[in-house]
Amino acid sequence: MQATALVHQYLEQSAARYPAKTAVVHDDVRATYAQIEHQANELAWFLTDNRVSVGDRVILLSGNCIEYVIGYYAALKAGAVVVPFSTDIKPDSFTALYEELAPKAIITSFRFERLLKAARIDALQPELLIVKAPKANFGNQHAWDDVVTEGRPQGPSPALSPDALASIIYTSGSTGNPKGVMLTHGNITANTASICQYLALTADDIQMVVLPFFYVMGKSLLNTHMAVGGTVVLNNKFAFPAGVLNQMVAEQVTGFSGVPSTYAHLLHRSPLRKMRDQFETLRYCSQAGGHMSRQLKQELARTLPAHTDLIIMYGATEASARLTYLHPDDFDAKMTSIGKPIPGVTLRVLDSRGNVVAQGEKGELVASGANIMQGYWQAPGATRTVLDANGYHTGDMGYQDADGFFFVNGRKDNLVKVGGHRINPQEVEDAIDGTGLSVEAAVIGVPDPLLGNKLVGLVVAKETQASPTLLMQRLADKLPKYKLPAEIRFARTLPKKANSKVDRFKCAAIIAEKK
Amino acid sequence: MSDNKTLIKDFIVENFLFGNADGLEDGTSFLEEGIIDSTGVLELVGFLEEEFGISVEDEELVPENLDSLNNLEAYIKRKM
Repeated sequence: MQATALVHQYLEQSAARYPAKTAVVHDDVRATYAQIEHQANELAWFLTDNRVSVGDRVILLSGNCIEYVIGYYAALKAGAVVVPFSTDIKPDSFTALYEELAPKAIITSFRFERLLKAARIDALQPELLIVKAPKANFGNQHAWDDVVTEGRPQGPSPALSPDALASIIYTSGSTGNPKGVMLTHGNITANTASICQYLALTADDIQMVVLPFFYVMGKSLLNTHMAVGGTVVLNNKFAFPAGVLNQMVAEQVTGFSGVPSTYAHLLHRSPLRKMRDQFETLRYCSQAGGHMSRQLKQELARTLPAHTDLIIMYGATEASARLTYLHPDDFDAKMTSIGKPIPGVTLRVLDSRGNVVAQGEKGELVASGANIMQGYWQAPGATRTVLDANGYHTGDMGYQDADGFFFVNGRKDNLVKVGGHRINPQEVEDAIDGTGLSVEAAVIGVPDPLLGNKLVGLVVAKETQASPTLLMQRLADKLPKYKLPAEIRFARTLPKKANSKVDRFKCAAIIAEKK
Repeated sequence: MSDNKTLIKDFIVENFLFGNADGLEDGTSFLEEGIIDSTGVLELVGFLEEEFGISVEDEELVPENLDSLNNLEAYIKRKM
């Protein structure tokens, strides 16, 4: 991989080097590097010819597909700032984000026409609306197939510095309005190069992508594999895990990435165990996107083939994706750790006054490096609360052990006050997982007239014979009384956000609903 | 429409479409149309197992079996 300063140069370099190599596989479509590059050039010219210029925002609203990849690189080649929207965005938030972004163009597909109508796109009047396979008529839209045809060998090359914004990625915090994380070309390329290095990615790597590209972890899979000239296999049907596993075997995939619920799902309801001997090429499985319990990590490590590494990683949208990873050699000894900073990142544990705490003491994890965002779009107040001279304040509390490994204990703002105690829900969730009776659990603080809050555990049970009473009995052996949930409720599933993370807000709503 | 298909359709309309069956054709992909996500698939599987007294094996969790009313009808027929 050559060093590069601009995100789309990764594609350009790989297309020059491996024009006939398969870059993206999606269902029956296999696109080569040359096809992606040429079609992205053509779309980039169309954007440029329609007055999209450096710094203009382009909304990308699409599931993972070849068009997503082409649209992403086309907007970057035109010098625009790509703003991926979550595919389950609601009309009200679409309108609100549209107004704060004032975009020049929207690239989407017919699947989102209902949403665009509900968001009153006719009143918003975007200058440029490009729709794949349009069914509705918004008056001024362009059909993707009219715009993107046989492609062009060269794209526009506007003057762009590595400090130019490349992307604004909205994060869905558990509370408050979504915030647009501003990432420059330099931020993303620094992180991409670092990830390629520590995962030792090469042109031989083939990644199964089940995470959405609008989510920063999914996007990093695209950036890194395009950088090394590898292949991404897009499968948007992880809801049917057996189909994904079959495709991993057929495509001889070398890497798989998921968030904790991805692996909970694979271990609970998929033929992963039965098929393990078929994953001959699978080098590694990586996990990020939040804390995964020790129980689940151990079970996963036991289930994967012996030649497949399990790589625990940690990051944030604000860090362009990645901050730390746990080297597989250290997995057995330090599996509850998030590992050590990736190349180019510095991580420190600071107290509330910004001083580095003593080794082993708890504080907030604060990161610095070339991958850290510029701030939140049009939100200087929110930016100041997380970015200062020390770097990016992750909001995660943790410590560093004597061997230099970092550990995360929970969120700064996620402690639940029950009676006189401040309780970390993550600890209780881990204990529930540790009973062996649960597939997944979310522990939520619910307002209580006596205690201020009480803990309610929403649990997906592993066996039909498990009962809330049995689970509470086992939990009582693991937790002091004040940390025991007041109530355990079984649910068939936990509500998830579009990036597959557990939606704690919806969990709380479910609990409130069924009092 | 077979009785089985009607039962399944009613379950999907009631649980995932809030009673509005617009746009749900027999060949519609639940995932592609955003009708069901991975959480929903597990609910659907639970329903199939209870309603039809079948056991859905892990390796049967593929779109060819479960990702449309037509696919589900054929799958249930094979299993019963």
